[in-house]
Amino acid sequence: MRQYVLRRLALAVPTLVLVSVIVFSIMRLMPGDVVIRMVEGHAYAPTVDALRKELGLDRPAHVQYLEWVGGILLRGDFGSSYWTRQPIWDEFIRRFPVTLELAALTILTSVSIGILVGIVSAVRQDTASDYVGRILAILALSVPYFGLAVLVVVLPAIYFKWTPLWTYVAFTADPIENLKIMSIPALVFGVTRAGPIMRIMRSALLEVLRQDYIRTAWSKGLPERAIVLRHALKNALIPVVSLVGLQTPLYIGGSVIIEAIFRLPGVGLFFFEALTRLDYPVVQSVNLIVAAMVVGLNLVIDLSYAFLDPRIRYR
Amino acid sequence: MSVTPVPLPTIDVDIRRLPRSLPWYADVWITMLRRKPLGTIGGALVLVMLLAAVLASVLTPYGFAETNLRERFVSMSAAHWLGTDQIGRDLATRILYGARISLYIGFGAVALGSLLATLLGIFSAYWGGKVDLFLQRAVDAWMAFPPLLILMSIMSLLGPSVLNITLVLGVAAGLRDSRIVRGVALSVRENTYVEGALAMGSGHMRVTLVHILPNVLPTIIVVATTGLSTVILTEASLSFLGLGVPPPYPTWGGMLSLAGLDHMYRAPWLAIWPAVALSLAVFGFNMLGDALRDLLDPRLKGG
Repeated sequence: MRQYVLRRLALAVPTLVLVSVIVFSIMRLMPGDVVIRMVEGHAYAPTVDALRKELGLDRPAHVQYLEWVGGILLRGDFGSSYWTRQPIWDEFIRRFPVTLELAALTILTSVSIGILVGIVSAVRQDTASDYVGRILAILALSVPYFGLAVLVVVLPAIYFKWTPLWTYVAFTADPIENLKIMSIPALVFGVTRAGPIMRIMRSALLEVLRQDYIRTAWSKGLPERAIVLRHALKNALIPVVSLVGLQTPLYIGGSVIIEAIFRLPGVGLFFFEALTRLDYPVVQSVNLIVAAMVVGLNLVIDLSYAFLDPRIRYR
Repeated sequence: MSVTPVPLPTIDVDIRRLPRSLPWYADVWITMLRRKPLGTIGGALVLVMLLAAVLASVLTPYGFAETNLRERFVSMSAAHWLGTDQIGRDLATRILYGARISLYIGFGAVALGSLLATLLGIFSAYWGGKVDLFLQRAVDAWMAFPPLLILMSIMSLLGPSVLNITLVLGVAAGLRDSRIVRGVALSVRENTYVEGALAMGSGHMRVTLVHILPNVLPTIIVVATTGLSTVILTEASLSFLGLGVPPPYPTWGGMLSLAGLDHMYRAPWLAIWPAVALSLAVFGFNMLGDALRDLLDPRLKGG
């Protein structure tokens, strides 16, 4: 087990190096010049060349790359915003709890809906409740979350004079008020993400329920509740866990849109605002940090299989 | 002793009148009609969308950018079936033309993506060794980025345009799907007929084109159809954020976007109909893709 973890960690290093090279080259090779905009539109410096020199953009690309990566590795310095000159890492950490809370609540919503409906659908296969569950799953798969979010913002405001709360309150300041604010976006996002979880839960559970040890459990006279929840569910959860893991990048990407619609001051909004101002160091470093998190998360998910299924051994 | 030849009974069969077995690409549609009701509904929706896109200019008397300031915020009426927006453009017209843009980008990106995925996947699997190892690590690195985040970054640098978004979505889909094509090509390569072809002196080009490609093709079709809904949805997300298709071209994502939120409070149909159109399109492509996957390539069957 320890050897497996070490080997996986070692394999993550080349991946992360490639990740940093990809994001750096994308930011350098594509057109679009923020410096001209900063000088002409906002008078950040007397001339374009002066600002380029000040920001270190006049040096060769490989020097800039090494300085960026070196700063991260040696000093934990992810660079600063062009516009505000604030360190990116500080801002990221300040905003991260909002995004993390949104992601946690979203995953909680989608997983609990998905698992619940999936179980009912599988246990009552080919009955009315199964068909209702499957139709719900297809609906959830088809409705885009930002479309649903816009409808949730607009329609109740017109017909019921109800609007989501717009001013964000931190969880540490007022937990109840905070949950009131976060629950609507998390619900909207979570519901639309529950579809695939429902479907995979249903098919995985159906497969497990046909196995020999389940028949043995029936023949021992165990009640249905114990068979489904204690014997079958844990084995059927493995594909669900890997699906949630695979979907995590989608949760992170989607949080940009959800945070923009519901005005939540999280990493997504930080990223989006940086993007509209062509603040490249922010875009570049946030991409890198998030990708590194995804790589780490994939490792955690792979290891969690061992907990769910003791038959899985790592070499 | 002489042997008298026994006349063989002749069977009178007109070979042209025997039921011919259909090739797989025709058979799939018949099986779908018989056994996959949801896939058939999905296919019908896709067909409707195709017709709307092709016939948009015939179906509606208005132009998609035609403004009429005297008819702002008109709700549903005989002249404007789905109402009008803040500068008096007909919403039904914009939704029809929106289908055109969605399909144009969807098919364009998927065609490019499939081509790229096929080339990369087969090349990586067939060549193997260090090339395969390096290419796969690069794909790993690419897949570590949340798709929306990296696509937003690229589009903000390139600037919104129909061509840019098609190219970017195509390349992204190609890189992602090359992994699946590679997997199937790896297993096809192990077949003895590939070994046989090589032993008979066939070149690499012939082996890949004649022996490997046809066997990978069903997988490519499945990946492409299921990829269509993803591409259409991603285009809508990017247009929603103002990074996809620039105005005045109507796109469903752009119509829903935050920029128009203030107008939606006054005219809720501006939010409802683009969302409905987008959901129907995604539903149609999803169902069609699922059915095709079950019929063509059971190996890829998911939840």
